[in-house]
Amino acid sequence: MGDKKDVWQGTLALMVLKTLEAMGPLHGYGIARRIEQTSGDLLALNYGTLYPALLKLEQEGAIASEWGLSENNRKAKFYRLTRAGKKQLQKEADSWEQTTAILARFLAPAEEA
Amino acid sequence: MKSLRVLCCRIRGLFKRNDELDAELESHLQFQVEDNVRAGMSPEEAGRQARIKLGGVEQTRQAVRERSTLPFVESLAQDIRIATRTMVCNPAFTAVVVLTLAIGIGTSTTVFSWINATLLQPLAGVADPSRLVVVESVAANHELVPNSYPDFQDFRDHLHLFDMAVSHPAFFSVGNQDHADRVWGELVSGNFFAVLGVHAAVGRVFLPTEYGDKPGAFPVVVISNRYWHSHFNGDPSIIGRTLRINQHQLTIVGVAPVRFHGSMPVTAYDLWIPYMQQPVLNGVQEWMLRNRQNRNMLGIARLKPGVTIDQATAELAALATRMAVANADVSEGMSATMLPVWKSPHGPQAMLVAPLRILMAVSLLVLLIACANVANLLLARAVGREREFIARLALGATRSRLARQILTEALVLALASGIISILLTIWMSRALGFLLPRGQSALALNFDWNARVLLFTLALCILTALAASIAPALHIRTLNLSAKLNEGSRTGTAGTRLQSLRSILVIAEIALALTAVIGAAVSARGFQTTRQIKPGFDPSHVLLSHFYLNTSGYTLDQRKEFCRRLADKLQTTPGVTDTAYSDGVPLGLETSWWEELNIEGYTPSPGENMKIFRNVISPEYLGLLHIPLVKGRDFTEHDDDKADGVMIVNQEFVRRYLPGRNPIGRRVHGWGYWFTVIGVAADSKYHSLGESPLPYTYFAFRQLYRADMNLAFYTRSRQSPDALINTVLQKVHELDPNVTAVNSIPMEEYIAASLYPQKIAATLLGCMGTLALLLAAVGIYSLMAYSVVQRTREIGIRMALGATPGYVVTTIVREALILCAAGLPAGTLLTMALGHALAALPSAGSYLNVGPKLLGMSAANPLIYLSAAIFLAVVTTLAAVIPARRAARIEPATALRAE
Repeated sequence: MGDKKDVWQGTLALMVLKTLEAMGPLHGYGIARRIEQTSGDLLALNYGTLYPALLKLEQEGAIASEWGLSENNRKAKFYRLTRAGKKQLQKEADSWEQTTAILARFLAPAEEA
Repeated sequence: MKSLRVLCCRIRGLFKRNDELDAELESHLQFQVEDNVRAGMSPEEAGRQARIKLGGVEQTRQAVRERSTLPFVESLAQDIRIATRTMVCNPAFTAVVVLTLAIGIGTSTTVFSWINATLLQPLAGVADPSRLVVVESVAANHELVPNSYPDFQDFRDHLHLFDMAVSHPAFFSVGNQDHADRVWGELVSGNFFAVLGVHAAVGRVFLPTEYGDKPGAFPVVVISNRYWHSHFNGDPSIIGRTLRINQHQLTIVGVAPVRFHGSMPVTAYDLWIPYMQQPVLNGVQEWMLRNRQNRNMLGIARLKPGVTIDQATAELAALATRMAVANADVSEGMSATMLPVWKSPHGPQAMLVAPLRILMAVSLLVLLIACANVANLLLARAVGREREFIARLALGATRSRLARQILTEALVLALASGIISILLTIWMSRALGFLLPRGQSALALNFDWNARVLLFTLALCILTALAASIAPALHIRTLNLSAKLNEGSRTGTAGTRLQSLRSILVIAEIALALTAVIGAAVSARGFQTTRQIKPGFDPSHVLLSHFYLNTSGYTLDQRKEFCRRLADKLQTTPGVTDTAYSDGVPLGLETSWWEELNIEGYTPSPGENMKIFRNVISPEYLGLLHIPLVKGRDFTEHDDDKADGVMIVNQEFVRRYLPGRNPIGRRVHGWGYWFTVIGVAADSKYHSLGESPLPYTYFAFRQLYRADMNLAFYTRSRQSPDALINTVLQKVHELDPNVTAVNSIPMEEYIAASLYPQKIAATLLGCMGTLALLLAAVGIYSLMAYSVVQRTREIGIRMALGATPGYVVTTIVREALILCAAGLPAGTLLTMALGHALAALPSAGSYLNVGPKLLGMSAANPLIYLSAAIFLAVVTTLAAVIPARRAARIEPATALRAE
């Protein structure tokens, strides 16, 4: 993995949801690739991180899965966003933005000092 | 909501095999490899890089599985599978453990089912029994007494926090004159069924129009389901038909539900008749229904919703206190109170409270001993499995996982014995029916299997498993990974730590067994002591017959006449030496009656209880029972209603009320009349053998006998009283063939019932003590036997070096005795502490309520302690000698080769 960052679970769920919203139904490898690319290859996803996260989201009802064929005719399990997942994405994205905005204010160089 | 969904998915996951994941991971890998190849790697390099990037498949599989199912349940299922398999593979071990535990759990569950049947759900078939309470009047001396009907009317009409009903147990002659049955029933207030929340199975119960207080206005009866089936074949058309009860026709209006047996705990009644029929049915004068001193109504009340028993009691007591002031002539100093139904002083359960409590404690002791035995066995097995455990530790199992497996195994064993003990309990719980005294009414013991008993058993199983697996689980902690795994052969002796753990268990067992044995011995001795108490009268060779003449339509005068003629007839029968009759019978289980007396020359202190117990007797009574007259004269035939009132008092009466004065000629006021004391009889026992002397009075049958009194007939003969039973019946028949309700029993048998609580306590505690002793002996034996096997090599070496077999035996027996010596003082302390706790238990209420003191539990008899200790030491020696002798027979050569 080298110096690439590990992903922590809460943010990974959000990334997966956002990816599925942006790209439509995708298989596990596709999701992983897309997240790695979007992060500018700063993140690396191995199975052990990705699949438990996918299972959790599926158990919570945010995503659903079914087997299908990929563009190069390989059998793969495709994940798609459910309606509950869209709602969850909206909520978590909002709360994440808020959190980052707050943190950004803390970390920004003090102006009035 | 979301977590619930996840849980559902996980539970579903428990039953699903996850093959999909492998396929998914495989396809993921292939995508990666393809991309790598596209990026210009050689196929081999592409695969290698992909695998490096994606990480271990096995770990992922593990992570996903942990999330997709419930890992705890999965490992539990595994543990249970292993536990069952090991149980089946070691049938002997399993049998011993399961049986030992079944004895412990079975006895506790049986005792609990008795407690459940008598104390926890004393009334069956009523709605919401937890809201029912017993209402009792409280005499000035704080004794609980039944209520009078006028008091009940006041309570019913003026109190708002509860609904109250009253009942008066009585028996009735049902059927035609020539073959009447004696049937027990209750004379009840009209609202009886409404208060208890009982609806008729067939027909109806009493209507609100039948709740009134008009004597003789309600000739209706509700019969029990039992009676309906036994006498009417369950025919629904009997509703509206009449039943001939005490020579009067009553209309059957309904049949009670199957489970309903009346308002007295543990007692089954078959008829319910409005109390207002009492004057008609039993020839009781109507004024007696209005008499506040006629306290014969048992009160039962239902608390209104949201009302606590304390609030209701406060309201009741406030009114009762006001009534005591308003009716000061008859109720001065009286009050009223409420009790939970199981605390009711009426009914057979009253005398079971104390014995059952002690029995429960002792059966838990037995269970503890069984636990210690099983813990010892599990520990021995844990040692045998050390290598298995170490191997698992080495493969990454945590110690807590191993401990959990030991617990699971213990739990499986405990549950297996729980099932056996439930079967045992179903069989043993009925024994209570045989143990209870054969009173005159039937018992209603509710042994239905209910959640409470099952829950109790389950809780016991879990606690037992926990207790028994503590020691082996502690042992797991001491396992040393590096030291043991490479060890090729078995060690010569078990670790000293382990040995001391097991020794502690045996010491605890001996201590517990000592407590149980002492408990059994003390209660047996208490029983013996009470049995040796002289009742103060001579019941041998006396036949006691109860007649129920009022139910045969006799008037008061006819009854008196009947007694006189029967006495004359029997007097001339060969073998009969004396005859007498009275209202009450001493040392019976029936209620004893009293009268508020005013003694000339004695001023009671404020609030002093002047309600003095009395009997109404024929002139021959004292002579027949060999109660000596210490002063004055006996009653004669001339002391009748034309003569002046006379009475005889006992010595305690004189001691308490007329000390140092001549009691003869003194006048006493009661029932509105004046009586002159003509004699003093010796003290005797009246209610129980354990009672302290109490003032007692005798009145002349011909002067005071009233319609509501009982009639007991005594016949003393030279031969055995049993031989007289038929003679009495025949003479009664000659006098009047219509009198069918006769109940004859030798008086010695009859009064044996007064020893009943001590008797069951002694018998059952004896059984428990024996059981405890046996279990402890097995425990000592198994420890010694095991330690001998462990030390085969050591013993072999010793013998090869010249130790004699005698020396080997002595060494092993000495070890056992050292454990015993450590256990005995601990047991003595435990027993003394328990004895104190038991003696401190309050024993409230009626004279039927037998406190632990009566059972002799507080009597710390050093001799009993000493003999119990010696007895245990002997048992220990015996349990150790068997394995010791086996050890002494070891061939040194074989032992040394033994591996």
